[in-house]
Amino acid sequence: MPSTLASVADSMLSETARTNALAEFRRAPGEHERPGRYWKIDLDGLEIPFEALVQGSVEISFSGELPDGVIACDLATAEREHGELLRQVFGCTEAASRKFGTLARAYLTGGAFIYIPDGVELPHLTVTHRLVGHAGVASTSVLAGNGARGTIVERIEAPAGAFVCQTSEIVTGERAEITSAAIQQLPLDARILASRGARPGRSSRIAFALADLGASLAAGSLDVTIAQPGVESRVSALFFPTSTQHVDLVTRVHHDVGDAVSRTLVKGAAAGAGQARYVGSIRIAAHAQRSDASLRDDTLLLSEHAHIDSIPALEIAANDVKAYHGATVGAIDEDERFYIETRGISRTQAERMIALGFFESVVDCFPTETLREQLREALAAKIG
Amino acid sequence: MSHSALIVADLYAEVEGKRILKGIDLRVEPGKVSALMGPNGSGKSTLAYTLAGHPKYIVESGTATLDGIDLLALSPDKRARLGLYLSFQYPAAIPGVKVANFIYAARQALRPGDLPPAKFRALLMDRLQVLDMDPSLLGRYVNDGFSGGEKKRLEVLQLAMLAPKYAILDETDSGLDVDALRAVGDSITALRADDEGRQTGFLIITHYPRILEHIRPDVVHIMLDGRIVKTGGADLADRIEREGYDTIREETTSVA
Ligand SMILES: Nc1ncnc2c1ncn2[C@@H]1O[C@H](COP(=O)(O)OP(=O)(O)O)[C@@H](O)[C@H]1O
Ligand SMILES: [Mg+2]
Repeated sequence: MPSTLASVADSMLSETARTNALAEFRRAPGEHERPGRYWKIDLDGLEIPFEALVQGSVEISFSGELPDGVIACDLATAEREHGELLRQVFGCTEAASRKFGTLARAYLTGGAFIYIPDGVELPHLTVTHRLVGHAGVASTSVLAGNGARGTIVERIEAPAGAFVCQTSEIVTGERAEITSAAIQQLPLDARILASRGARPGRSSRIAFALADLGASLAAGSLDVTIAQPGVESRVSALFFPTSTQHVDLVTRVHHDVGDAVSRTLVKGAAAGAGQARYVGSIRIAAHAQRSDASLRDDTLLLSEHAHIDSIPALEIAANDVKAYHGATVGAIDEDERFYIETRGISRTQAERMIALGFFESVVDCFPTETLREQLREALAAKIG
Repeated sequence: MSHSALIVADLYAEVEGKRILKGIDLRVEPGKVSALMGPNGSGKSTLAYTLAGHPKYIVESGTATLDGIDLLALSPDKRARLGLYLSFQYPAAIPGVKVANFIYAARQALRPGDLPPAKFRALLMDRLQVLDMDPSLLGRYVNDGFSGGEKKRLEVLQLAMLAPKYAILDETDSGLDVDALRAVGDSITALRADDEGRQTGFLIITHYPRILEHIRPDVVHIMLDGRIVKTGGADLADRIEREGYDTIREETTSVA
């Protein structure tokens, strides 16, 4: 046993692990390289501050009550004391093989590990990753046991101009219910590359509520792998690039077995010269009968120079499935605005109301009123 | 003697390059009810939109004043702040904006700071009850997924909460069943009995005279093809009820 633990430890923070991960990163196919009609940035050709990453360090802190049995610690402690558990989540989701996920592993200096044992409920835990230098990796691994429940909020604090590589993985047992929320509000000249992955267990519910508001460049992917029946996955995301911000978001839900439900809801608006690309992928494997998947993405353009490319990708190989895709694209509706104006509300305020309302169905998916209010205020401030 | 009235004079307006209003003259007095009746497509909604300031409805000539102030020079929100209200025939949905918040924002825009939130809430609950509406509606998004009847009631709820000087009700009655129609009638009656709404002048647009049994009009105008072709008392509405628009159409075309 001890030797196994040692080798697990070795595979995470060691020099060999880094070298291997970096080689993997260089080999990994780019997933963001396909420029859209307006999307001109080649993310795979992105200049990465390798030097700064090597020196980077990230402080982890937790806030929230920890019920008996719940573990919330840094990665080094987890390797030392809970290697067996850590090994069940670290590197076990699709996030690990995504390009930015391999980058995260190559420069991992620490991270957060959270474990919720069987049947335990963790009401609300906030994990904060604080970058000490100008570059760093923010890594979160969550393992939930059978019937475990919990809400986990991830926060990143970083200085102006920071480069953040984020990776976040969730693995659950049976009948677990986990909600993961993150509001990305990095400084406007920071960059963040994120990869998230989840592997929910049989009859589990997994919910993501994600918002990208900050950073000059926010590129992220989320992979939910449904490999057990009875899963209910909810992915709710919003993004809102303004001024010259860029957002690139990929969500993938992979129904690898049948009898599971997935709902993906994405609301993207852009103002100023903000640009975004969203790829929403739903894959239903041939044997994944009775899958029930929906993808809804709505786009709102608030200025002439704002652009969003929204690309649905549905691959459905099974025949007995329910699959829905709906999308809207457009500017503010004139009749909607007029209706509000006839109530004495100015044009500017009416447009603000419509834009805030546009995001509301995603805002509503965030787990606490505090977060929802924080989000509404941040969105309102961005609308200006 | 006073200028207190909503006055439309010789108004011509077009939409999408097509002339719809062809010289409308109309006067709505405070505390009075004018009815505007006419078959589908005669231009009633066009008049309502033009007065409220919809950007697609272009005034070619003529005037519209509210208590002596030129309405046509103002943006829609300023017209509302002068005291004009439009109950839409087809109200727009505003996803993500809750009914209670929306009405509060409107009340704030029209009468800044006149009601603290608690009093606003009490008034809202009161008016909701008169309209026989479910309070859960306040937490729903404005007109989003509403039935036709719910939309119309929400228009009347806003009317009751905003107590404008002049209200244009564009087919607020259509799509309402008998009970809903009575509730709407009661709500308007209650508003007019109230200090806030006592002086509200109404322009009630309809093509069925049913609603006029609940709110007796002081004057009835008949509109055909963008013109007001006949004006009379409440008995004119009764005549439409019996005969429809055909005989009036025949009379007026033979005169012309
Ligand atoms: N937004 C619009 N675009 C094009 N035509 C319109 C529009 N609104 C009204 N019209 C036309 O104006 C005429 C009058 O319509 P409307 O004012 O809605 O009549 P009513 O309300 O009396 O039924 C109709 O011929 C209608 O097609
Ligand atoms: Mg009409």
